[in-house]
Amino acid sequence: MDYTKQIKEIAGKLFSEEKIDVFIGYRNSGFDENQVPVLIHHYQDVDQLVFTEKSVFNLTNYLKYEHTRNKRVGLVVKGCDSRALNLMLTENQVKRENLYIVGIACEGVVDEAGQKAQNCLECVMPDSVVFDEMLGTPSGKREYQVNADIRELDGKELTERLTYFEEVFENCIRCNACRHSCPLCYCDKCCIDQETSTLYHGANTTSSAFHALMTWSLHLAGRCVDCRNCEKACPSHLPLHLLHKQNEKVVYENFQEHQAGMIEGDRGAFYKYSMSDPDDFIM
Amino acid sequence: MARVGVFVCFCGANIGDFVDVPAVVEEAKKIKEVKYAIDYKYVCSDPGQQMIRDAIVQQRLTSVVVAACSPRMHEKTFRKALSDAGMNPYLLEVANIREHSSWVHQKNKKAATGKSSDLIRMAVAKSIANEQLHEISVPVTKRALVIGGGIAGIQAALDIADARIPVVLVEKSPSIGGKMAQLDETFPTLDCSQCILTPKMVDVASHPFIELLPYSEVIELDGYVGNYKAKIKRKASYVNFDTCTGCGACWLKCPVKVPNEFNMGIDKRKAIYSPFPQAVPNKPVIDAEHCTMLIKGKCGICAKVCEKGSIDYTMQDEIVEREIGAVVVATGYDLWDPKPYEEYGVGRFKDIINSLEFERMVSANGPTGGVPVRPSDGKVPKNVVFIQCVGSRDEAKGIEYCSKICCMYTAKHTLLLHHKVQDSHAYVFYMDIRAAGKGYEEFVKRAQVETGATYLRGRASKIYKKGDKLMVQGEDAQIGQVVEVEADLVVLATAIYPYKDNPDLARLLGISYDKYGFLSEAHPKLRPVETAKAGIFLAGCTQAPKDIPDSVAQASATAAKVCGLFAGDTMKKDPMIAHVNNEFCTGCQNCVNVCPYQAIVTEEIPLGYGFKELRTVAKINEGVCQGCGSCVAICRSMAIDLAGFTDMQIINEIVAI
Amino acid sequence: METEVIEKIVSIEKPHLEAPPDWQPVIMGILCNWCSYAGSDLTGTSRIQYPPNIRIIRIPCSSRVDPWFIIKSLQTTADGVLVSGCHPGDCHYISGNYYARRRFLVTKKLLNFVGYHEDRVQFSWVSAAEGQKFANVVAKVTEDIKKLGPLRLYKKENS
Repeated sequence: MDYTKQIKEIAGKLFSEEKIDVFIGYRNSGFDENQVPVLIHHYQDVDQLVFTEKSVFNLTNYLKYEHTRNKRVGLVVKGCDSRALNLMLTENQVKRENLYIVGIACEGVVDEAGQKAQNCLECVMPDSVVFDEMLGTPSGKREYQVNADIRELDGKELTERLTYFEEVFENCIRCNACRHSCPLCYCDKCCIDQETSTLYHGANTTSSAFHALMTWSLHLAGRCVDCRNCEKACPSHLPLHLLHKQNEKVVYENFQEHQAGMIEGDRGAFYKYSMSDPDDFIM
Repeated sequence: MARVGVFVCFCGANIGDFVDVPAVVEEAKKIKEVKYAIDYKYVCSDPGQQMIRDAIVQQRLTSVVVAACSPRMHEKTFRKALSDAGMNPYLLEVANIREHSSWVHQKNKKAATGKSSDLIRMAVAKSIANEQLHEISVPVTKRALVIGGGIAGIQAALDIADARIPVVLVEKSPSIGGKMAQLDETFPTLDCSQCILTPKMVDVASHPFIELLPYSEVIELDGYVGNYKAKIKRKASYVNFDTCTGCGACWLKCPVKVPNEFNMGIDKRKAIYSPFPQAVPNKPVIDAEHCTMLIKGKCGICAKVCEKGSIDYTMQDEIVEREIGAVVVATGYDLWDPKPYEEYGVGRFKDIINSLEFERMVSANGPTGGVPVRPSDGKVPKNVVFIQCVGSRDEAKGIEYCSKICCMYTAKHTLLLHHKVQDSHAYVFYMDIRAAGKGYEEFVKRAQVETGATYLRGRASKIYKKGDKLMVQGEDAQIGQVVEVEADLVVLATAIYPYKDNPDLARLLGISYDKYGFLSEAHPKLRPVETAKAGIFLAGCTQAPKDIPDSVAQASATAAKVCGLFAGDTMKKDPMIAHVNNEFCTGCQNCVNVCPYQAIVTEEIPLGYGFKELRTVAKINEGVCQGCGSCVAICRSMAIDLAGFTDMQIINEIVAI
Repeated sequence: METEVIEKIVSIEKPHLEAPPDWQPVIMGILCNWCSYAGSDLTGTSRIQYPPNIRIIRIPCSSRVDPWFIIKSLQTTADGVLVSGCHPGDCHYISGNYYARRRFLVTKKLLNFVGYHEDRVQFSWVSAAEGQKFANVVAKVTEDIKKLGPLRLYKKENS
């Protein structure tokens, strides 16, 4: 998967036709083999752009900051990124007419070890669902499968799961990188701050922080698109995807196979209901 | 620093016997914020309330906790005590130590005492976060909209207008009167329907507080209780009502004949027509579907014969807007279509008619001059079979409910038949006779005795043709035998079915309806005339099958509701509603989606101080919000909070134990 | 007040802890005003007895329940949570409990996933007429949570 040439061409064309003010893409980091996001403002910088299977980040995150507010933006989106973009459009965070979307029919990106990433192995929609221009051959929607880690943990005893989460989430340093890297966490006031605030009888403790992360994951339930930006951003390498994938599983299995951001205009699972939602867990 | 006063009630022995009240008071005094705690035999009594008032002043309390019975019981009483002492009434919290503690833990005084202390701790913690709230005043437009000009709509309009409140009465057809105008005589007193209805119709037309909009439909309703804005489509009538005198020259000369809806299609009307002689307003309209002038551009006879020149073929539909404060929906009913009853030969045999058709035939001003005739050959029938419960109470083919009026009008029909055709005989297939109502049972008895009608208990199972007669087969359950009756005419008592456009209207008004299309009341027993949407009321058969007295009673009830709503210049509303903090609102509009009352709209505000750029935020309409908190819980950025039940208050309660 | 609360916050669930002999669970009961709170009042007026471990919070509608409240209760003061609202279709606010029901399911499953026993958080529909049902629900929840034991370390003077 290498669309470097095409993306350079597209970005160059957009700048020369003055259709955009800024282009969001990837460039080589320069000090290691990884790629980093880049905001291109001028035609002459277009050459920096690359796109390979190392283009892991979800660039729609940059649409929530003032870098792009009320500007005409071109950006590259993979399947998962485009679903996040769909939700941002539905939730009124960006205007479609300001965007030029280069969709990718994604073949999967790699993780730190150079293997195909887990979320790409389990990807339900590799093709961009919203785009102005599509690169690659779409391969269509895939069947939903329960995350491998969730399956493994589900098989364990309650106390084992408890011990696991206690040990792992002890490493949280409350840097909030997870929420800053999430394109759907655009709130100015966040439940994480609120729950660890003494105003609401919280505290800056591991317990508070972990419970706050649970509430946070519930705010993303039925909205999370599994791009794993949060996990890539986490300096403590917390398995944040576990919380999201667990919620995704419950939402998918119980609420008419709801999948976030597949259709424009479809809001998160908590903002609609069906009379036939499960009721048997309620006395 | 908060200064909370705690008042613990013994409630006589109700709390005192099962909770150690003095110990609870001592426990309350240990709470840091509590500056004053005391017990009293009956805090709700006058001396008890005086105690609260005195303590507020003397102890400079910032909030008050009363530990007593359920807040659903005396919250209002204590709030009043607070405001009498000059304190904001919403600084009160009630700890429910009677229903939730003393009464349910009567065998364990220690646990009940401990639990009562905890409940007080929670109430104190919540009260610290209480804010001063003020009742919301919503201005009201004192004008009512009545949709439907049948007897229910007429009654509602007259009663409201008599209270000197302007009414806009919208009727879809060219004249008001509705189904009642089609009836001959009405049970149980056999008053002539026209004689009692037409004076009311004339009253409507001449009432200074009623604006009658015939031949019109409501197409849009915006706003909220007290402040609705209705768009009403006035369909083109092609006749200038201001100059028309209703002389009738036009419809006498009109060459186009169309089945007459008012007479159930038994005779014909013209393309320019007034539905019936006593119509109000008595002005004709042109039926655009059939008028040759409007279709082909040829004819124009009515324009030629009209001396006043009132005919205007170029007239267009017109949209008028009215600002209104309340709506009464009285759209009435339709007859259920008996098509599923194939065994009766509905549609195949001409001599099977429905009861409204029979009603028109026996009506003195009807198409047959008041004598029932067979549609097939025009002969006067001798043997008439009435079949009740056609559609009603039939889960398999029809509908589950009872149409309520069929037993009564069938008895009336046998009587009318007896009066009009002396040597006739009536047979009635019935399931039960339901004659609950003043004078109803007596009326049915009278009809049975006077007419000698044969009542056969059971559903008719089949109708077939034999010569020019119809043979009706059915089981008489009382003798347990299949009976066969030779009939000249069969009258089906078809069920009352909701007016077919009810679901569309309900969506337009934002109210709910049941699976048949009847509009839903807010509570089946205690709020039978209100809908779940404030300011919209129901009258007549639009809500459920009803007879005339019930419809009129309900219509008058809606009038009382409307008058109550308009009693002051503003409406008072509970201040416990949601508020948006613009600072944190991200404008995602999920709350707009979730609100069951459509109380949330969006507005544009500057991005920040000094910015010209705008951003979208949610805005809650104070008049509409009912304070459920749905939006609060789904707001991820915590920009919405619910006064009286804020996040802070609830979290305080949670951590207080 | 804040200091007192912070002392109560311990790490996540420690089910291996032995319960003190006279330990009684605290159950946070979050009840909607129109059905369940009225139902619990009816339990009182009918003098139906139930275990004294529940602490009731009144809210307008079950849709007001932010998952935060449930999580916060478990994290700070409560050993279990009971949320109760109107039966589906009976919501005083038309559709509030349908939205709430979705959140409840996901919250319950998530808490179970990270190691809270599923009986720690329970839900019920109790109407204003179901005083007996409310008592039964409270009795069941209390019994379930007594079996599970305390959720946090207890300081000596607290126990």
